[in-house]
Amino acid sequence: MKFWEIGKRNLKEIYRNPVLLGFLLGMPLAFMLVFVAATGGGQASPIALSVVDEDSSQTSSAFIQYVGGVGAIELNEPVYSEKSEAQEELDEGKISFYLLIPAGFEAAQQTQQTINLELIYKAADPMMGLQLKPIIEAVGSEFLGVAPPLNVELKGTESIIKNPAVNFYAPGIVVFGLMILISTAAEIIAGDREKGFLARMFTTPARPWDFILGYSLPFIPVLIISTFIYLGVGIALGLTVVGNLGHAFLVFFLIGLCGIGIGMIVGSLVKSESQAGVSWIFIVPIAMISGTMFTVEYMPSALRSVAGALPFIHAVDASRAVINGSSFSAIIIDFYWLIGWAVVLFATGIVLFRRTMVS
Amino acid sequence: MNAIQTFKLTKKFDSLVAVNGIDLEINKGELFSLLGPNGAGKTTTIRMLCCLLKPTRGTASILGHDIVKTPFAVKDVIGVSPQDTTLSERLNCWENLALIGKVHGLSSDTVARRSKELLETMGLMERGKDQVRKFSGGMKRRLSIAMALISDPQVLFLDEPTLGLDPQARRNIWDYIDTLKGKKTILLTTHYMEEADSLSDRIGIIDEGRIVALGTSRELKTQFFEMQSMAVSTGNITAEVIEDLQSKYSRLEMTKGKLKIYHKDLDFKGIVDYLHSRGITVYSAALEQPTLEDVFIQITGKKLRD
Repeated sequence: MKFWEIGKRNLKEIYRNPVLLGFLLGMPLAFMLVFVAATGGGQASPIALSVVDEDSSQTSSAFIQYVGGVGAIELNEPVYSEKSEAQEELDEGKISFYLLIPAGFEAAQQTQQTINLELIYKAADPMMGLQLKPIIEAVGSEFLGVAPPLNVELKGTESIIKNPAVNFYAPGIVVFGLMILISTAAEIIAGDREKGFLARMFTTPARPWDFILGYSLPFIPVLIISTFIYLGVGIALGLTVVGNLGHAFLVFFLIGLCGIGIGMIVGSLVKSESQAGVSWIFIVPIAMISGTMFTVEYMPSALRSVAGALPFIHAVDASRAVINGSSFSAIIIDFYWLIGWAVVLFATGIVLFRRTMVS
Repeated sequence: MNAIQTFKLTKKFDSLVAVNGIDLEINKGELFSLLGPNGAGKTTTIRMLCCLLKPTRGTASILGHDIVKTPFAVKDVIGVSPQDTTLSERLNCWENLALIGKVHGLSSDTVARRSKELLETMGLMERGKDQVRKFSGGMKRRLSIAMALISDPQVLFLDEPTLGLDPQARRNIWDYIDTLKGKKTILLTTHYMEEADSLSDRIGIIDEGRIVALGTSRELKTQFFEMQSMAVSTGNITAEVIEDLQSKYSRLEMTKGKLKIYHKDLDFKGIVDYLHSRGITVYSAALEQPTLEDVFIQITGKKLRD
C-alpha cells in the first residue's frame, strides 16, 4: 500500500495549505455564484414571448393559451396575426423573439401531419432562443401529441423547470469548474519535482502506479466536495433537477477523474510548477468547444468532431440531459465514453511517470 | 563482494561527458568520499547509483543488484539524503519519517521505534510534531539524513550533507556520521575538505568525469604533494629578499607579513639563518603538513569551474 502512504502525504499537503484548499473549495462557490448571476439566474423570471398566429383557428388560440399557462413563459400582448408586424417589432428591438404558428396549424393537427413551429429570435442573442426552444417543443408536443425532436423526457418538464437558464448553464459550469483539477494536480506533481521531493521519492521502492494513485487519491474528496458545492449552490440558485441527481453526480465524478488523469499526465511531462500553469492554454479552449459555457450547436463540424472525441462535451451533454429528466439509458454512450477516457488517461499517466522516474 | 562497484560507468548529456568510464570499488562498511570541483560529476554519479539517471554506458551494482536491470532491488537496500533538503514541508518530522519508512515496507511499529531513535539521535524530538517548513536549515538537514536512515539501509548516499550549515550543525552531523562508520557503507560527496579528511576511510577525487586520484587521505597527501611548506611571520622583509628567495625555491606566497615557502626537502634552519643574516626579524617559523585542500588544488588546479 505504498500508494496509500503517498496519498496520505499529498492529502495532508493539500488540507494544511489554506491557500490551496481555499482555492479548490472556494472556486466552486464563487464560480457558480458568478456564472448563474451573470446569466440572470438569480431569480426565476419568466421569458417574455410574442406570438404570431397565422392560423387564427380555435386550436391555435387554445395552444397560445396553453403556452401562456407555462410558468417559465410570459405572453406578450397582443398576439400578432401577421408575421411582418412581429418582425418589425423584433427589428426595432421591442421584442426579443416570437413564435410563429403557421397557417394550416389546426388542419395539420387534425390530420396528424407534421407541424412546424418557428421560433424567431435576434441573431445577436441566440442563447435566449435556445433556452426557449426545448420549452416550446415540450409544450407543443404535450399539447399536440407530436413526438419532440429533442432527446429529452417531457413529463411536465416545461412546468417543472423554474429557470431554464440555470438548467442550461449549470451542468456546463460544473464541468468547466472541475477542469481546475487538471492544473492543480499537475502543479502539485510539478512542484514536488521542482523542489526535488519527487527525486527523493524515486529513490524509494515505490512503483509508478504508487505515485499516480498516490497523487490522485487526495483529489477524490476534493472532487466529491466540489461537486456537492456546485450542485448545492446551483439548486439554491434555481437549478431544477428533474432527473436523477445521482446519475448527474456520477457523470461529474467521471469527468473529474478524467481531469485528475490529465493532471497526472501534464505533471509527468512538465518540469516546474510554472510550466504546469500553461495547461490553462488548453483548458479554456477545450472548455469552450465542449459547450461548458455556451451552446456548440452552431460550431463548425470539424471543431465539433474534436470536441466529440474528448470527454468534456460528453460530460456536459450527459449531465444536462439527466438533470433535465433523461433516463440513464439515454446517456449510456456518454457514460462509457467517460469511463474509457478515465482508464486511458490513468494508464497513460502511469506509462509517462515510469519514463520520468529515470532520466 | 563489494558494496558498490561500478563498471565503466558513463553518462553523457548531449555532447557533454559528465561521467567518463568510472571504475570504482567500495567495500562493505567503508565510508568513501567523492570530492571534486563543481560540475566534476559527483552528483551525476550518485544519481546513477540511486537509479535516478540511466547510464549512457557501463553499469554499477549495489550489493550485487544491477542499477540498470534491477533498479527496485537497489532501491530496497539504499538510503539517500539528496543535496537539496527535499522534505514534505507541511508534514512534521514523524510524518516525514513514516512516509519514507512505510514506502520501504516497514510496519507501523518499526517506523515508530526507529523514528523515535532517529529523532532523539538527531536532536529533533522536541520539534517532532512541528511542520518542517518552520525548521532551520540545520534541522532540515538532520531530518533529511534521518529520512535516509529510517529504512535501516545497508548502503547510504549522502550528497553534500552539511552544505550551508553553521559550524555547530556541521560538527553535529559529522559526529553522527562517524557513529555509522563500519556499520553501513557510505558514499559521501562534499566540498568541505576537512569533512572528507576526518570522516573518510578512502577518498576519490573526480574531475571532468574521471577519477583522478584514489586512496586514503594520507596516501593522497604523500602521493600528490611531494613539496614541503614552511610558514614564516616577519616584520620587515624587503623586496630584495623576496626576489632572492623566489630564485631559490619552487613557490613563494606572501600575505600580510606572512611568508609561505614551498620546496621539496626544505632546509628549515638554513632559511631562518638566511633571514637573520639579512637583518629580517622572524617572529615565528614552522614547517607545515600539506592539507587535503592542498592536494585537491594540486590535482584539480585553481581554475574556476561552473
